[in-house]
Amino acid sequence: MSTKLVVLICLLMFFGLGSAVSATQVPEFTIITTTEGYDPIRYEAAFLIQEDWAKLGIKVNVQPTEFSTLIETFYNQQDFELAIVGWSGRVDRLDPQHFLGTFHSGQADLRGNNPGGYSNPEYDRLFDLQGKEFDANKRREYVMEMQAIAMEEQPLSVLFYRDEVVAYNKDVFDGFVPMAGEAIYNEWLPFTVEPLGDERVLTIGTTQEPDNINPLDSTTVWGWKFMRLYYDKLVRLSPEIEPLPWAAESVSAVDDVTIEVVLREGMTFHDGMPVTVEDVKFSYDYVVEQDFAYFRPFYQPLDRVDIIDDTTLHFVLKEPTAFFITVTLSQIPIIPKHLWENIKQANQLGPQDVPTVGSGPMKFDRFDRGEYKRLLKYEDYFKADEIAIDAIDYIIYADSEGVYTGLITKEIDMTAWRLEPAQITLAENEDHLQVVSVPDFGYYHMTYNLRLPALDDVAFRRALAHAIPHETLANVLLDGRGERGTSIIAPVNAFWHNPDVPIFEYDLSKAKQVLEEAGYWLDGEGRLNFPKCQ
Amino acid sequence: MGKGEFILKRIVQLLLTYWVILTVLFFLFRLGLPDPTAALVVEGLSAEEQAMVQARFGLDQPLWVQYFIYLRNFLQGDFGVSFHYKAAVFPILMEKFLNTIVLMLPAILISYTIGPVLGVILSWKRGTRIEFSGIVSGLFLRSAPVFWTGMIFIMVFGIWWGVLPTSGMRTVPYDADNFLTKIFTLDYLWHLILPALTIALYYLGLPMLIMRNTMLEVMGEDYIELCQAKGLSPRTIMFKHAARNALLPVVTQAAITVGMAVGGQVVVEVVYSWPGLGREMIQAVRTSDYPMAQASFMLMAGMVLLMNFLADMVYGYLDPRVVTKGEGR
Repeated sequence: MSTKLVVLICLLMFFGLGSAVSATQVPEFTIITTTEGYDPIRYEAAFLIQEDWAKLGIKVNVQPTEFSTLIETFYNQQDFELAIVGWSGRVDRLDPQHFLGTFHSGQADLRGNNPGGYSNPEYDRLFDLQGKEFDANKRREYVMEMQAIAMEEQPLSVLFYRDEVVAYNKDVFDGFVPMAGEAIYNEWLPFTVEPLGDERVLTIGTTQEPDNINPLDSTTVWGWKFMRLYYDKLVRLSPEIEPLPWAAESVSAVDDVTIEVVLREGMTFHDGMPVTVEDVKFSYDYVVEQDFAYFRPFYQPLDRVDIIDDTTLHFVLKEPTAFFITVTLSQIPIIPKHLWENIKQANQLGPQDVPTVGSGPMKFDRFDRGEYKRLLKYEDYFKADEIAIDAIDYIIYADSEGVYTGLITKEIDMTAWRLEPAQITLAENEDHLQVVSVPDFGYYHMTYNLRLPALDDVAFRRALAHAIPHETLANVLLDGRGERGTSIIAPVNAFWHNPDVPIFEYDLSKAKQVLEEAGYWLDGEGRLNFPKCQ
Repeated sequence: MGKGEFILKRIVQLLLTYWVILTVLFFLFRLGLPDPTAALVVEGLSAEEQAMVQARFGLDQPLWVQYFIYLRNFLQGDFGVSFHYKAAVFPILMEKFLNTIVLMLPAILISYTIGPVLGVILSWKRGTRIEFSGIVSGLFLRSAPVFWTGMIFIMVFGIWWGVLPTSGMRTVPYDADNFLTKIFTLDYLWHLILPALTIALYYLGLPMLIMRNTMLEVMGEDYIELCQAKGLSPRTIMFKHAARNALLPVVTQAAITVGMAVGGQVVVEVVYSWPGLGREMIQAVRTSDYPMAQASFMLMAGMVLLMNFLADMVYGYLDPRVVTKGEGR
């Protein structure tokens, strides 16, 4: 219990503002969560939590909110008490930088990633240290300690990690390699899928379509999941999340702020032009010059790119940056200089004028909004002999029912996004379908607004944590397809996950005991009250 | 009041109504929908980066400034740039609009051809079991939700029998590069069957029942008795003499239906993954894409007003009393 609060309450009482009992009652809280239609699991979770907390004498209302309004209320306005939201496991977030940043005090302002307002100087200090640490093992120590600090203080409760459950037609294709957070629709798809018969065109069903296919203007993950198949990157993250030099022959650190990249020789763009160090330098300079907001977190540490010789580049950083190789080099696409250099403002291009030439394993063929996308195998790719399919077709459906019907009628071979809970059991009973369950490193959480009385008290939050039915959430709501939440770095992200963070078991008597020890007491109405003045 | 004056007055009313609709649309979306940049937070953009995006779309301006820019742009025929697609709204709108039209018009055509004929037959067989079952099935079709009929069709024709396609406008892969090569194919007609049938069945009940009711009125008129006295066959009386006069309310209803159809049957477009305007409207509202949402609703409102106006004009032509009625003369 923060002493400031006790003093404040005592002063209020001293000056007779309100009667003694009602002034000390822990106020009613409201949980904002998704609507049942958007996500039945988060919706139900709120009601389960409401039920358990009532047993502690804490009154909670549940307010299901339309998704974008929920996001706006939570991030842009911070006008919430408790909120159930989530972070999706996007591949660049396997590096702990982004998730750890959500507890940094510098992110606590409106529109920042830390809407709860957690602030801990020691945590911030370690955050800066890990960000500059090149030695992965040393960095890991910082990352472990940060998780321990934060989870001990429970600025939020990680509710669960939800498996990505997808399905494919096992009679037609096989060899899919699942990746944490991305399931089977990942960037290794062209290299791993094996046709079992004559069909060499893989058809993917999806409801999610790119906002646009301008590599300097797409701001949705679905734009990037599509484009990364036809643009190449210097580094690719292996299915085991190891950074592999890809369009780069090698990547090495010359010193703390200089990274040397040797470019693979003999690569070409889809229009036949060679990929040169000029193109690589241009790609990085161009995203910086165009100030493309979506890539900013990636290129921010970059000072400049120097061309050393025909195959060698030096990336010079403003300060040592641990994630530069794993995130920046694996996310920023190589674009052809000859097609882009005369484009003054990339985000003003009309859809017809956007160059779609990359140097990736597949090449762009067409994109018809709301209908269809197609990629063709790039025969001159340096690993073309590892690609066993001729093309990837995407059928864009209006809703997940459409996608599922597509699987049943064999119109599509696989899904790009998770099945609905009800469809999973149905899919398991279909002879031609293989259901794949892949753990996610994104997480769903309940964030407390730490600016509010009671929620600003560590003991109070720990008691709440003991009263969240984590096992029920994972086993009943998720039907076992997921895991109870522990830390903001998920267990599947094994290298960075701290398995020793404090775990708050579901135990109502323990919760009551924690509250009692902190001085909270129940009044005649059965409502919880703040500790009495000493 | 002369005919010219009547038309002029209607046009002024039309423009005034349209301006009110534009204003309501503007404020409705801005007050009712969440901040369009909210979605960017989930993608990990910082406050500063979100501000960059806001400035780019003019969302940092005061609301009234945005309103006047909106009106000015509208007068110049500029529908703005979609926040979601980050591309000009108009071409996208037209593409989806045409897709919707080629679904809705055939469906409406079917129901407004078959419906009135069935209506005549029902009135002819008045008091029989045919009339009773006709009315019941008409009401049933009218009250069956289209998503339900759609799902039943998908299950039966798509999954059980596997004879008809259940999604989209065409089979992939395809090569069509423009709108005409897209719809002048058997493949498109093949894909049209289920969604058009779903909509046609839903629309069928209304013209059928309207036709039956007006037929019953008309059948009481003196000239019908005269026809019977002349010894004309019931078939000739029904279709040649009575139906013609009973058709007027059906025509009005058809005009209004066509006007409303621009927005598509949202649910049908979703169930059959038809890439039309209705699906687009839902997405625009969901992503707080103000320009896209505004333009789609403007188009829909414009079409409803226009079709109503035309219906009025046709009425004025068919029944001159309309022009002077209500003027207190």
